[in-house]
Amino acid sequence: MASIAALRGPGWEAARHRAFLFGLAPSLAVLLAITLLPAAALLVASFTPLSLTDPVGTFRFDDPLVNYRHLLADERFLGSIGTQLKLSVASVVLQLLVGLGLALLLDGKSKVLGATRTVFLIPMVLPPIVVALIWKIMFTPDVSPIHRALEAVGLPVRSLIANPDTALWAIAFADTWQWFPFTMLMVLASLQMIPSDPIEAASLDGATRWQLFRYIVFPHIRPVLIVCGLFRLIDSFKAFPLIYVLTDGGPGTVTEVTNYYGFIQAFNFSYWGYASAIAVVILAGVFLLSWAVGKLGWNDHDRR
Amino acid sequence: MNMQETPDTRRRGLLAAGAALGATALLPRIAPAQGGAKKFQGVTLNVSTFSAAYPKLLQQWLPEFEALTGAKVNYDAPSFPVYNQRADLELSTKGSAYDVVNVTFIYSSRWINSGWLTPLDDFIRNPEFTPADWDVNDFLPGARAPETGKDGKLYGIPWTAEALLSVSSRFDLVEQAGLAFPDTTDDLVKVLRAVNKKERVAGFVADSHYGWTFVPYLHAFGGDVFRKAPDDLFPTLDTPEAIAAGEYYANLIREFGPDGAVTYTPDQVTQALKLGRVNFSDAGQLHLAQLGDPATSKTIKTLKFGLVPKGPAGRFPGTAVHALGIPAGSKKKEAAWAFIQWALSKQTTRKAVEAGYGSPARRSDIDSQAFRTKQVINGNDLAQLALDSIEQASKSGHMKYRTVSVYPQIDQQLNKAIALIASGQANAKQAFQQAQAQSIAELKRAGIAL
Repeated sequence: MASIAALRGPGWEAARHRAFLFGLAPSLAVLLAITLLPAAALLVASFTPLSLTDPVGTFRFDDPLVNYRHLLADERFLGSIGTQLKLSVASVVLQLLVGLGLALLLDGKSKVLGATRTVFLIPMVLPPIVVALIWKIMFTPDVSPIHRALEAVGLPVRSLIANPDTALWAIAFADTWQWFPFTMLMVLASLQMIPSDPIEAASLDGATRWQLFRYIVFPHIRPVLIVCGLFRLIDSFKAFPLIYVLTDGGPGTVTEVTNYYGFIQAFNFSYWGYASAIAVVILAGVFLLSWAVGKLGWNDHDRR
Repeated sequence: MNMQETPDTRRRGLLAAGAALGATALLPRIAPAQGGAKKFQGVTLNVSTFSAAYPKLLQQWLPEFEALTGAKVNYDAPSFPVYNQRADLELSTKGSAYDVVNVTFIYSSRWINSGWLTPLDDFIRNPEFTPADWDVNDFLPGARAPETGKDGKLYGIPWTAEALLSVSSRFDLVEQAGLAFPDTTDDLVKVLRAVNKKERVAGFVADSHYGWTFVPYLHAFGGDVFRKAPDDLFPTLDTPEAIAAGEYYANLIREFGPDGAVTYTPDQVTQALKLGRVNFSDAGQLHLAQLGDPATSKTIKTLKFGLVPKGPAGRFPGTAVHALGIPAGSKKKEAAWAFIQWALSKQTTRKAVEAGYGSPARRSDIDSQAFRTKQVINGNDLAQLALDSIEQASKSGHMKYRTVSVYPQIDQQLNKAIALIASGQANAKQAFQQAQAQSIAELKRAGIAL
């Protein structure tokens, strides 16, 4: 072996390294072109007052922080961040709770449970715009079977998406309906990997069902829940079809999240520089939140 | 709706063949290429408009155009807001995805004066492209005005000139209360108080695009959107008159609206009127004409139309014009013009009127007997009401606010302000002061010196 190593020498190592780099170069170039360049273009645009009504005249860098200064004074933008946080927290918490609860109920080997699990996965595989249309019908009192049923039993409910106190909750509810299956699926997979020995041992020692869940099952699935929370949190910042179809950001601005506000600035008013600055802020926010959530327990196993 | 994907190709082929046979005397004249070949054989045109009555007729009649010219047409007609966003983005990048687009009224100045559309004058003047009897001057001058750029050139050929009118779908309830069709804003409230929720019919609803439906009331109360459009674009949304109008209008929705009134789209309003779930509304003539369809309208026998109500400052009906234009980035401009010339020729527009089309922009169609008789719905002359509105608008010039390039930004502030008041989140003063401040910020962002 020693003689082979001597034969190869440092020159051989360097050549091998170069060969790897050469082989990787095309994929690195593609990665750069399709991910980093657009992000860099976004950042560059955010330093200009670029408007598509006058792209030549507005692509200038004489005051690169103008958009960011305007954002600090833009009440609608600041309000949209609060709305975004409320929607994200409400929908992610609801999805985790519902997904976890149903996964615990449906964890078993019978055919009925298997079929039920499949049915519960349907919302997740529907195209987002179809989900939005389903809930547009559900939330429109004139045609909604829910509203009609409630009225028939003497409990009429006013339109949830037209009421500023409930509109955001209605969107969080619809979003939860669509995405709880993701958590359910991940938790079910994790539950099926729990070794049976500690559960049997604890049962023999007289542990209650709650104690089994609290001290054996939950620690096992906690990393999965954190991953689910992180995925859904990042995704919640992209909330769009539900808001576009159900409320258009209203009534007023109560359901106007930052993402939607950026869309309006870019695609309704053509303020691409300003919209890019909004997108950069969202990007920074998502990175920051992901990092913070990751710190909560993503690596607990490694630390222990 | 991509016409190439239509499954019924055999029927389409037969139609094309039939159309080709008859396409000599009756159809618009389009100059053939030398040697007898069809002039645009092998050319595929991408046409996009929003979905409405006239575009639907054009889609049916495409085989005629294809037989005449040899061109293939992909006709895409999404809903109004989707179309506008898509077209605005495509035009702003000067892309070549579309060869013919709808020039939407609210965007007309923005699209034309940003150089995103092609001037049509050379095509119109050149006998090689346009026969003399095509007659551009037959289109209402008021409809051509918003399609004309600051350079005096024409950028769109109007296919509709419509007006915002008032309607009562259950006028029988008003008559039972011993009242007449409301002529003033005060009358409207009096009538709504008398009929609201009678027979489970809500009093009033409007399309939540309040930047369109509310403005006649803003004007009626003596307010305006800008100080003096198009020369002085300082917003005037926080004036006492604007606040009073906002208070009045939001109250109509809050007090007399059906459940969820602030979320109603134009189609929902039309349906609610057809089914008699809501009594009063203000809507464009294109939508109101659908109430006369006996197959789908339950209120055809109880309908009554009128002009939008008069306020303390007078009556200011909203009007809108939509046109067909050619994007600056189109690579098939001659074929695109051939399409527009066919789609808005005297023969095609007359055929549309005979098929029941309700808001033509050619004077010869408007004056035709075929049009006038079809526009009488339950004894109401919708055409006359629309003409009166258009005439009124051209006299007072109060619609000038609508075609300034930054109006889409202000339009949305009005949508928000009315929704804020109607949903109880702010009073009129707060909502309109906020709209004013945000409008100023938007205009500054657009680089407008105020």
